[in-house]
Amino acid sequence: MFKSEFDSYFFLPIAGANVSKCPVIQITNLTKKFGNLTAVDHLNLAIDEGEIFGLLGPNGAGKTTTILMLTTVIRPTEGTATVVGYDIKKSPKKTREMIGVCFQEPKLLWVSTAWDVLNWHAKVCGLSTQERKEKVKWALEEMNIWDERRRSVHALSGGMKKRVEIAKILIQRPKIAIVDEPTAQVDVVGKHRIWNLLREMREEGSTIILATNELNEADVLSDRVAIMHKGRLLVCDTPQQLKDNIVGGDVMEVQLEKDTPDKVISELKDFKEIVSVKQVGSNLLRLYLNQVEAVTPKIMELFYDRRLRISSIHMSEPSLDDVFAHYTGLTLEEAEKVG
Amino acid sequence: MGLRQLLLVIERDLRMFIQYKFLLIMRGIWFVSQVALFGLVVNQMVANAAAVAGIDYFEYYVVGVTIITLYSTAMFIGYDIFEEAEHGVFEYLLTLPVSRRELVLGRSIGGGLRSFIYVGPLMMVVLLLLGVSNPLHFLIAFAAMFLFAFGVSGMSITLAVAMKSGDKYDIVIGVLDALIVRLSTTMYPTLYMQRAAPAYAMIANFNPLTYASDLFRWGTGIEGTLQFAPAVGILALFIFFLAFTFVGVVFYERRLEGGSWQ
Repeated sequence: MFKSEFDSYFFLPIAGANVSKCPVIQITNLTKKFGNLTAVDHLNLAIDEGEIFGLLGPNGAGKTTTILMLTTVIRPTEGTATVVGYDIKKSPKKTREMIGVCFQEPKLLWVSTAWDVLNWHAKVCGLSTQERKEKVKWALEEMNIWDERRRSVHALSGGMKKRVEIAKILIQRPKIAIVDEPTAQVDVVGKHRIWNLLREMREEGSTIILATNELNEADVLSDRVAIMHKGRLLVCDTPQQLKDNIVGGDVMEVQLEKDTPDKVISELKDFKEIVSVKQVGSNLLRLYLNQVEAVTPKIMELFYDRRLRISSIHMSEPSLDDVFAHYTGLTLEEAEKVG
Repeated sequence: MGLRQLLLVIERDLRMFIQYKFLLIMRGIWFVSQVALFGLVVNQMVANAAAVAGIDYFEYYVVGVTIITLYSTAMFIGYDIFEEAEHGVFEYLLTLPVSRRELVLGRSIGGGLRSFIYVGPLMMVVLLLLGVSNPLHFLIAFAAMFLFAFGVSGMSITLAVAMKSGDKYDIVIGVLDALIVRLSTTMYPTLYMQRAAPAYAMIANFNPLTYASDLFRWGTGIEGTLQFAPAVGILALFIFFLAFTFVGVVFYERRLEGGSWQ
């Protein structure tokens, strides 16, 4: 009883606080072939209600094709998916009513103004006149493009166009929001603003699918991530779990005030979380380990017991880039070149 | 089918069209020069010959040019579709809570309606020049022009969806324009086509531009007798409208759902 209360107070994940373990999207054997090219190859995934789900992979991994199938823009060659219970093949219109998309490349015709684009989008999504005016104004202000609302979109910068694209889903507040590279071409301040708005949308009940090849963004935002490569799903888990799965992925460099005795190195190797110990200098150790949070207190305790004073510690954990490299043997850049 | 969504698709096309100010001005200049320059000069040349056939060629030609303008502005929706495909807007439209049927029907109607809004003032000029002898005939002919414009718009969408390259579409439309306009009674009566080559006249009898221009002439009263009953002309335009709007919708739907437009 006490443990569960303790857990709920102290280990409640901030990201994913509203995640319900009920799949709102169920993808089953989803496949898309373009001639001889298999863009998506028997994809199976379950995305829970209220989570931010990162869909990662290099360009050409099959992310956008998956999104186009989920939004019923293109029809799967094989397999299917359900979105809030609606089969994408059998009930495409109902499916689209549940989904809002922020495309990677802003989908704006050059003759339109930002206001016209958003106002019409709000109308199609069924907002009343009053609600529409308020929300369009709010979204334009949130995206910091209110002053540009009457300019033709072709006169806007790439970042501004992207903000107009994001504003569409902010106005729509769909049950499922699919955001493809939401912060591409957006400045740092805008990027953090968009991240916060996506989190707010999630808090208000939207499930968010974040397709990106910016792995840091996925790491920061996602409750779970799926990594795709060459149309296939490589792995799907929480970012932390994926990183923990890399044996010896965490690295700790310990600078001691005096030389490290061999006995201490041997004792360090006895910790099950430590994969290897490398003596870089006479008083500098590099430890390759797992579950850095769990093992760090034990390491500190050992140094304290052996009267070894520490002058500095540097820790680094694996990134999702490392996770991708771990599963494919390639960096993201290499994977893009290989195709 | 949701009427609201359908109206929104139409509204979007109308709003978009107003943005093409340059195109609209140029088309207006084209129309005026065709009437005030070409029409007047050619009339001087062929007036006597046309009088033998009981035609005031200038009046005949002015109606023809109006129908050609209606046709070419209704065809413009196809360029919009390519423009949208190029900018990815097509994908965006396909993700909206609008059925494919609403989308294509809405665009077909929107494309036709906007050409009508554009040609409306030009028609007024034509009516001032020609006058209307029988208001009822004119109203019937006017209604038939809607069917014609929606049908042309549907035809343009069909071609745009069927073709993958904007350049090819451009060329095909250019050739189609040349054939469909010249193998019709927009600029000369069937009698003269018959004399040049009977096949031309036969093809012209199946051309929607022939029905549209002859019905419009009948509506304004400049041609007392039609080669076909007005009801036949209206029926022909109705079939043209049905073929490229409703039957076409099914065809587009399959193509769009399959993603083969990409």
